[in-house]
Amino acid sequence: MLGFLLFLLGNRVDELRVYQGASIAVFVIAISSLILLTGYSGQVSLGHGALMAIGAYSAAIARNEFKIPVVLTFFIAVLFTAIAGALLGAAAARLSGPYLAGTTLALAIGLPSLANQFEPLGGEQGIPFDVGLPPARLGESFTQYKWFFWIAALAALICMWLLSNILSSRYGRNWRAGRSNEVAAQICGINMSRSKILAFTLSAGIAGLAGALLSMTIGTVSPSAFTLALSFSILTGAVLSGITTLVGTMIGAVILVILPEIADVVAHQIGSSERVTSNLPGFLLGALLIVTVLFVPNGPVEQHHARAAKRAAKKKS
Amino acid sequence: MQLLNTILIGITAGSIYSLMAIAFVLVWRSTRVINFAQAGMALLSTYFGYEAVTRIGSFWLALPIAMLGGAIIAALVEVTLMRSLVKHASTGPIAAVAPIIATLGLLGLLRAVIAMVWGGQNLVIFPPVSNAGFTVNGEVLVFSPLKLLILSTTLVLMALLSLLFQRTNLGLSLRASAYAPEISHLSGIRVDLIRTLGWALAGAAGAVAGIFQTVNGNGNFSPDSIEFALLLVSGFIAAVIGGLDSLLGAVIGGMFLGVVIAFVLIYINSGLFFIAPFIILLATLFIRPQGIIGVRAGRRA
Amino acid sequence: MKEINRQILVSVSAVLAVFGLVAQALPAQAAEVGVSSSEIKLGMTVPMTGAASLGYNKIPGAAKAYFDYLNENGGVYGRKIRLIVEDDKYVPTEAVAKTNKLILKDKVMALFAPLGTANNRAVASAVNPAKRGVPVLFLNTGFSGFADLKKYPTHYMVLPSYVMEAKVMGEYIKANFADKKIGLLYQDDDFGVDALAGFKTAGINFAVKVPYASGSQGAAAAAGWITKFKAAEADVVILFAVSSATSAMLGVAAQLKYAPQWMLGSVGGDAVTIKATGVPAGVLYNAIGFSPVPATTDMKDEYVKLFSDIYAKAVPGSAFDLNVLLGMNSAFMTAQALKAAGPNPTRKSLMAAIDSKGATFANAALVPAGYSKTSHVGLTGYWVGKFSPTGDLSPIGGTYVTYTTDSGAGAVVKSTYVRPAMPAKGLPN
Repeated sequence: MLGFLLFLLGNRVDELRVYQGASIAVFVIAISSLILLTGYSGQVSLGHGALMAIGAYSAAIARNEFKIPVVLTFFIAVLFTAIAGALLGAAAARLSGPYLAGTTLALAIGLPSLANQFEPLGGEQGIPFDVGLPPARLGESFTQYKWFFWIAALAALICMWLLSNILSSRYGRNWRAGRSNEVAAQICGINMSRSKILAFTLSAGIAGLAGALLSMTIGTVSPSAFTLALSFSILTGAVLSGITTLVGTMIGAVILVILPEIADVVAHQIGSSERVTSNLPGFLLGALLIVTVLFVPNGPVEQHHARAAKRAAKKKS
Repeated sequence: MQLLNTILIGITAGSIYSLMAIAFVLVWRSTRVINFAQAGMALLSTYFGYEAVTRIGSFWLALPIAMLGGAIIAALVEVTLMRSLVKHASTGPIAAVAPIIATLGLLGLLRAVIAMVWGGQNLVIFPPVSNAGFTVNGEVLVFSPLKLLILSTTLVLMALLSLLFQRTNLGLSLRASAYAPEISHLSGIRVDLIRTLGWALAGAAGAVAGIFQTVNGNGNFSPDSIEFALLLVSGFIAAVIGGLDSLLGAVIGGMFLGVVIAFVLIYINSGLFFIAPFIILLATLFIRPQGIIGVRAGRRA
Repeated sequence: MKEINRQILVSVSAVLAVFGLVAQALPAQAAEVGVSSSEIKLGMTVPMTGAASLGYNKIPGAAKAYFDYLNENGGVYGRKIRLIVEDDKYVPTEAVAKTNKLILKDKVMALFAPLGTANNRAVASAVNPAKRGVPVLFLNTGFSGFADLKKYPTHYMVLPSYVMEAKVMGEYIKANFADKKIGLLYQDDDFGVDALAGFKTAGINFAVKVPYASGSQGAAAAAGWITKFKAAEADVVILFAVSSATSAMLGVAAQLKYAPQWMLGSVGGDAVTIKATGVPAGVLYNAIGFSPVPATTDMKDEYVKLFSDIYAKAVPGSAFDLNVLLGMNSAFMTAQALKAAGPNPTRKSLMAAIDSKGATFANAALVPAGYSKTSHVGLTGYWVGKFSPTGDLSPIGGTYVTYTTDSGAGAVVKSTYVRPAMPAKGLPN
């Protein structure tokens, strides 16, 4: 039923919005992976852009060198990035707070540049990632971008469903316990390092999926698509959504994709110079981040719930 | 000859990383926060320095002015942003991440504001002393009066700060406020002021790092200079390698990072410029997770 | 568990629905996309901010300066040309997003001078202007692959390819530095690969080759490069690099008093940009440089004189340099293409016009352009110059001697091309 709804929407909306919809779906997946790792398991990562890169490269190489069908390439992206995540998690299990942040920061900067060192990774130019045209039976007006949107939105829905199930399971509870107080959690019998590594592995796998989808929308996999700024954007989106819960993920993703347009509109209202206009999106994003952390630290959805809970409590007393 | 030059290149770059690392460590020790906006503040201080040099004409005056500017900005940020952060977001799961995110937001904000005010074009600050290499036995070394200045300033600053922390009451207060704010408060220490002071010192150190990074290059800088992105990352990595708790560690970490990167770039492959810091960091943390001089217990924050 | 699932699904579909309602419906089609009775819209993506923007962020201002001049003089068949510029920060994802906006939202007629090899490739595969029939005029990159008509049927190059430049450099070296040690600084991506291919065709063997990671071009890295060149005792050092790397290299070399025979590639060889970064003019003295268009200080050249006058009025206080000259030249060629497309231009007629008449368009270059129905290759060669004591490039011996070649195995030949006179007032006739 939902699919039909999306199909209708996809037809009514013009191509630019459809493309943006695909980008939003990609960000939803990326943000949720970070919410898992940082919000639930309490491990800060500034390097999810690098994990996305791993997913993208594995998918592209699988497609180009081994001619693997498109659907499978996404699974391969998840698998390889999950393995990388497990390794990273194992290395990082002994680290906490700023040490972990520093390591992931260095990873975010260093990893994409590896592409220049190894031939099959295509160097700065990157390698193509072509998911092919939409199947003919969907008709002539079913554009490439609609196809992207479909694939990305479907992946996002599946991902969110799986993730919410996992988070409300025993594993999710273990992570939250470990986040609040590691010693207490260990006393309760939770194996902290295994729990942390699991979080990393899962988060990485999901990030890898997001990376492969992102490359699908651009059509190429190159290091310059996975800059440090991307890692920061995902973190920003996670904070704007409410880093501790999945429910608000759309909000963060939408803001990230729409912000340049909003900035444009604002700039035209003010009628300002070139200098101000080109820097306005950066300014707004930074300001938004600070305001969110200060006033809505757990995200707008949690805020809403908390207020509702307070009101309910007041009513009772 | 190449060996000597490599070491010299590494040490000079390393001392600038050390200055930045010192700034990170200062903030960490006084408020237990990693300030990612450090590079943005260093950039802003560099612009202050530029204005000073352009209007007054003396680098030697401009440097302290930039340091003062950096200190004031840092103090302002601590008073407004960080205190609100403590008020609003110090409980719950967001607590660990909140300062990181807030300072990241500040970094973007600072960069955008600088670009709006001064524009995106390159500006130049010329070094105060010659950067032409010393000639030894007819060979020109990659070491010049300027590099000597950078190196000595770093060492002097480190010595001064260590003295401050270890030998004075102020330093004692600084250390106490970081580790046990409630008890310090009870002892009559003005914890708030102390924290602000820590940030101010860091701001000054960052300003020096920013200006030196600029003049050590070809004097160019702009809101998007790659030098400042490098400064942020390398400074932070250097601080982590040295163990976030010690100023000496910051300097050692910075020098270590600078020299190893120089060796990798010259002897192995200059394409490894970006991946080298990561490998070095990972290797160091693997062998010694608390950093070179870090204290095990103090790592958990 | 089910509760959370439902919540998520609801929020996801709710936001998507709002999205759909807010978005615009497709408007009715105009005569041709981007063409109205009063104006023609062109779109451009270029790094206006970011580490790679040095020098290149002047190009939009330059092109607009020419288009405004054209519009004041009647435009093209009465239509004004409007250039919409978007900042892509040299990041391919941004380039794709911004190009989408230009094509889908602003509905431009054609893309003008988009900059960057990686960016153009990403746009070509994601946005696929070829499939949409959108012309991509006068790409601002020299990567030879863009001349491949099968892969990029609607792309038109203008800059000579890096392969061509390397071959011309190679010939000059063989003629003048036959038994000297040659060193090369190059970028470790397709920009560098193109250059290496050209040098190989020319038969040059290097005593030392130093790659640098794109994005790492700072002074610290430069010191490392110089150590390697010194160790190899290179007599001639070729800087086939972007402006920021070239400036870093020359700046540090000045400090270390390292002064081999420099040879600068045209990508990073603009003297004004280099000097603006603080490199003393004396460092450039006697360095060898290459350019397909007249020297930017050559006021005797009618194009340079006219363009610099227009630019000085439009953007006072900004120095006229190679980026500006090339930008205005591409704008000039675009104007002629639009005129040749007739009073009711379409995307197809625009491209047909370049195919059939492009090689004869008036333009400032001193070498011929290679447009035809089977070729979208732009300019095909260079003249060789030396930098003066004030750091300005001018032809060796005082007169322009140009060399042309191709991106393949063809020989480098001295060109007999005589540039046609500029049409009156620099407007398309």
